[in-house]
Amino acid sequence: MAAREIFNPYRTPGLDMKQHYGMHQSMGVKAGGFIFFSGMYALDPSTGERLHGTVTSETRIILENLQSMLAHAGLSLDRLVQIHALIYDRIEYDVLNRIYRQFMPNPPPARTVWSVQLDAGFKIQIDAVAAA
Amino acid sequence: MDQLTRAVVEPKNPALNASRNLNLPHSPGIRAGDFIFISGMVSVDPETGEHSLGTVASETRQILSNMAHLLESAGSSLQRVVKVNVFIYDMLELANMNRVFAEFFPDEPPARTVCGVQLSFGFKVEIECIALAGH
Repeated sequence: MAAREIFNPYRTPGLDMKQHYGMHQSMGVKAGGFIFFSGMYALDPSTGERLHGTVTSETRIILENLQSMLAHAGLSLDRLVQIHALIYDRIEYDVLNRIYRQFMPNPPPARTVWSVQLDAGFKIQIDAVAAA
Repeated sequence: MDQLTRAVVEPKNPALNASRNLNLPHSPGIRAGDFIFISGMVSVDPETGEHSLGTVASETRQILSNMAHLLESAGSSLQRVVKVNVFIYDMLELANMNRVFAEFFPDEPPARTVCGVQLSFGFKVEIECIALAGH
């Protein structure tokens, strides 16, 4: 039977939203050959400080942080299977795509974009499933 | 490549089978490979099967209690949940959901995404998840 293991990339302690913001969730969970990542905001990967900005700047920070967490498991963005990108206003859809393209492998992972209400004044939140 | 089996997951308590009782075009859950994929759940009274509208805290508690029952009906459990998506009607209530959520996942909580959306029927919370099959 498949095991369930908490994925804790200790080189990026700032990304632990449970520790810094009391959000009752793990950064990621490894199970059945996949890593499931919690929704990520633009946080400083060392301190957890919120780095509010534009959709472009927040997306860049989130994807760099995701890259660091994957690197902890010896993986890269090439292993991404599915992405949820939650933005504060769908008018920014093309803005998201412009920065997103610069990070994603070809072919890119499956993705859904939602326009939703986000926490703490952020403009974007991204979660991910990667093949471990 | 061997084809994975795909099987419907249903709650033992028929009152909680909202998709069948309301004739909705989704299953409560689907088991495939190592995983169980659970549909978005809203607060339903396990005695009557009726919508159980309340506060963010009470709806979260009812949903997670019903989700535990559904997973246990399929031989899994909340401890086997790997990813949760929580939809709430207003992010101002995030802390109220988070507090109850912590009661149900005391150790090693799953990965989670929370966002604010418009929900149907006056509900304040909807929760879906992916869990590992088996105990």
